[in-house]
Amino acid sequence: MPTSFAQTNDDFVSRVFRLPWIMILIMMGLGIFGVAVLYSSTITNPIEAGLPAKHAVRLGIAFVFLFALAMTPLGFWSAVSYTGYLGALLLLVGVEFFGAMGGGAQRWLDIGPIRVQPSEFMKLALLLALARFYHQVRASGEVKFFHHVFALMMIGAPVMLVFRQPDLGTSLMLAATGFAVMFFAGIRYWIIIAGLVAVVLSAPLAYFYVLKDYQRERVLTAIDPSRDPLGAGYQIQQAEIAIGSGGAEGRGYMQGTQSQLDYIPEQHTDFIFTVIAEEFGFVGSVGLIGAWIALFALGLMVAGRSRSHFGYLASSGAVVTIAFYVFVNIAMVSGMLPVVGVPLPLISYGGTAMLTVMAAFAVICATNLDRDKHLSISGFF
Amino acid sequence: MGRKREVKELDTTRRLFIAGAAGGLVSSVIVGRLVNLQLLNQEEFEARALVNQISLVPGVPRRGLIFDRFGEPLATHRTSWNVYAAREDLADLEETLARIAEVVDLSPERQERLVQNFRREQPFIPVSILTDLTYEQFTRLSVMRPQLPGVTIEASHARSYPRGRDFAHVVGYVARANQSEIDAALEGLDPEVDRQRISRIQGVLKHPNMRVGRLGVEKEMDDWLGGTPGNHRYVRNAQGRTIRRLDDDENAPKPGKDVHLTIDADLQREAIRLFGDQSGAAVLMDVNSGDILTLASNPTYDPNDFVNGISSVDYNALRENELSPLYHKAYDGVYPPGSTFKMIVGAAALRAGLTDASERVYCPGHYDFGGRRFHCWERRGHGSVNLKGAIQKSCDVYFYEIARRLGPERIAAEARTFGLGISYELGMTGGASGVVPNDEWKRRRFNEPWYDGETLNYGIGQGYLTVSPLQLAVMTARLARTDGVAVMPRMVGVGDAVPQNPQNGSMPDAAIMQQLREGMFAVTSETGGTALRAGDINFNGYRMAGKTGTAQVRVISAAERVTGVIDNADLPRRLRDHGLFVGFAPYDNPKYAVAVVVEHGGGSSSAYPIARDLMHEAFVRDSGRAASYQIAANATDTEAI
Repeated sequence: MPTSFAQTNDDFVSRVFRLPWIMILIMMGLGIFGVAVLYSSTITNPIEAGLPAKHAVRLGIAFVFLFALAMTPLGFWSAVSYTGYLGALLLLVGVEFFGAMGGGAQRWLDIGPIRVQPSEFMKLALLLALARFYHQVRASGEVKFFHHVFALMMIGAPVMLVFRQPDLGTSLMLAATGFAVMFFAGIRYWIIIAGLVAVVLSAPLAYFYVLKDYQRERVLTAIDPSRDPLGAGYQIQQAEIAIGSGGAEGRGYMQGTQSQLDYIPEQHTDFIFTVIAEEFGFVGSVGLIGAWIALFALGLMVAGRSRSHFGYLASSGAVVTIAFYVFVNIAMVSGMLPVVGVPLPLISYGGTAMLTVMAAFAVICATNLDRDKHLSISGFF
Repeated sequence: MGRKREVKELDTTRRLFIAGAAGGLVSSVIVGRLVNLQLLNQEEFEARALVNQISLVPGVPRRGLIFDRFGEPLATHRTSWNVYAAREDLADLEETLARIAEVVDLSPERQERLVQNFRREQPFIPVSILTDLTYEQFTRLSVMRPQLPGVTIEASHARSYPRGRDFAHVVGYVARANQSEIDAALEGLDPEVDRQRISRIQGVLKHPNMRVGRLGVEKEMDDWLGGTPGNHRYVRNAQGRTIRRLDDDENAPKPGKDVHLTIDADLQREAIRLFGDQSGAAVLMDVNSGDILTLASNPTYDPNDFVNGISSVDYNALRENELSPLYHKAYDGVYPPGSTFKMIVGAAALRAGLTDASERVYCPGHYDFGGRRFHCWERRGHGSVNLKGAIQKSCDVYFYEIARRLGPERIAAEARTFGLGISYELGMTGGASGVVPNDEWKRRRFNEPWYDGETLNYGIGQGYLTVSPLQLAVMTARLARTDGVAVMPRMVGVGDAVPQNPQNGSMPDAAIMQQLREGMFAVTSETGGTALRAGDINFNGYRMAGKTGTAQVRVISAAERVTGVIDNADLPRRLRDHGLFVGFAPYDNPKYAVAVVVEHGGGSSSAYPIARDLMHEAFVRDSGRAASYQIAANATDTEAI
């Protein structure tokens, strides 16, 4: 079916103008802020001296990457979704068998000189595959219950594989992304409520029978950091001290004693929010959260205005993926969730999550560009 | 279109809204958490951040200095580089020591002993690893510093005694606090209630740079010299590396205050030089102010050896030396005054009206009393002598006679009036009171009554009577005073002010004092005197009046006291008499009084040359020099009375 109602100009320049610039500017602002915070958090440690510059270069590359992907037609995203999903699934299986040991768990796969983290790739692939699946189902008729069961299987396979690595955080994120797409795809409310009840009821069982010792330890430590002040609880206690001592207005840029004296392990990666909270205070922390919320709201609006079902599902799911990073990270460093190793996108030092988040944004941008287009998808490719 | 309608049928807007609401809910929970941490509990976390980074380190106060009367330093500081660490700051104690041993000499045995030292202390107490680094050791260790986290290389003020040997007994020395001193400092503190204070006191007292006074002025004035211990506050990062030290006037240790002595260091040195290899003591005192200008004991030792701990071999050598170098003879030593006591007996008799200047007593060379014969030192006898002649020739028979008339109580009372029998607080440890015996004393001491024969011995300064060289100087100073003031000695001033000088006692009338002085003048300056060569002090024509003395009783030395009194039969033949001399000069306007005791000197001839030369030196040094100290504001100057 040809795309109809192409009322907007589709040449390159008008597409550039139609990019969601407010979102991109907020992201750039966050990225620049991140470099500054990274500078503050690494200044006292000579070994980390090059990190802010490296981060800035990566951000630059990531934004170029974002532009390139954002300009890609939405149809392309749907076209590669199944292939990507199956590829990612194969890589996860590969990790299961051949994965390099890294960070105490099998998460990486070395392909020649390139080291890939398939679970990260899977976040986007699962999102796109589910969006396409529901799009096609809807295009060919009503969504039935067994369609949801099939979607659940599409979610379950990578979640189980990632959980076995073991990477609790990423598997939960994958599940959340998947469930979010199912929710946006129209699964009935009573099923959602039943599912939530089931999760709540099975949580204790999962705690005792599914989680490993060190994971249980993290949960306990999150509940009461003082039970192990020199071990697992140290990091979270120091993080709380950093956040709390920031007060309303913060101690000033590069003035946070917790940050400057290296009291928080991983303060330039997962725990970078503590540096922001200590040096910029409540005002700075809430401002940062506000910027993210604005991004999410704009993203959901893009989803709402998408004419294609694929664009709607892919964008809303992408928002959930990114929001999951942000909320889990902040909740984790402020002692509300166990420490599960989720970075703060655009600000934490590290490349993998940055690419995932950029790609997710690219999906939202592409949706915005092609928001008035119908999308005809059939077959597998 | 049907399908399109189906899409529209899906409540996408509502679902997006629900998602947004869920996001809003999560955000509110997170913001709520931030409100709780940052707005409601900021103070608590700020305090904990402070506790995190600030580490309190016991601050050792700088010790006050000690000066002589002209501002010459007697106890001072030199910079000493020391290495120490607290166990809790070290990742691996053995490895740290091994690394230090790579660059400086630290034998495996010494490392082993250090490990034990560390294990003995609580983990937060710093333990000394090396003291007094050489420049080479210091540079080598400094280069290595980054590989020695937790180890402190610090300059400290090491106590130094530039006039070491001359002032060993007076100034004393400092040393590391021992357990009993730490216990004493903690006395009265409840381990439950004052836990912080206790650990701070311990932290400071056990600090490798901390020294406490162990003897002499250093010990007696420890509170004044020692200052107030405090804390230094260091900002430390998570790895324990010190980032900087905070200026903190409130908690910083307060330096100790200086002490000024009335002693003239050069005169003190001269006194010790004059003794040569003889043992004994010399005290020189200003008769007007009571200032002690010399308080010398010989032989002596170097207190610098004690600051970082003396070896037991060296210490035992000092302890076993029969000349007792460790003994503060001038202040702690007691001797029978012998004939130097005769003026006191004379004073008592004149005051009691039991004799007068004109009464003559015949001396045949002995005095029979109670079926016993008491000998005069001059076996041939002095013939007929009055008081002046008896003092001049030191006639024993004369004093047997008037002592018999007086009885022990009046002699004892006069002895106290002249300052014997009491201990003087001069601001240093020790101080012998000696014995001024009487009936009551003897009953208390020996549970026996006083025998009259003992009174006769009392009259010539023998028997139970013992005095310290300092007391002899005080006695002589009071004899020298023409205004009837009982001058008190003083030696230590706090800061740059010496304390007021209280007076006491009611001295005999001026006429009596004048007779005694005339006798003393005759001793040194009139034909027949016992110390004619002591009269001329070779300064400005000044004459010194004085009195010789010979103590015929073996004195029990300090070393002997330690090991137990040796039976007479086992004694070596070194049982010569002690020689004594007391004097003042110039005769017609007394300024200084001197007392000299030469142990086993064989008689007074060993003592008076020292007294004469010391007096000469005192006047030579005296001309036009003002003391660097002042009299405390509320002081009552003796001359003002």
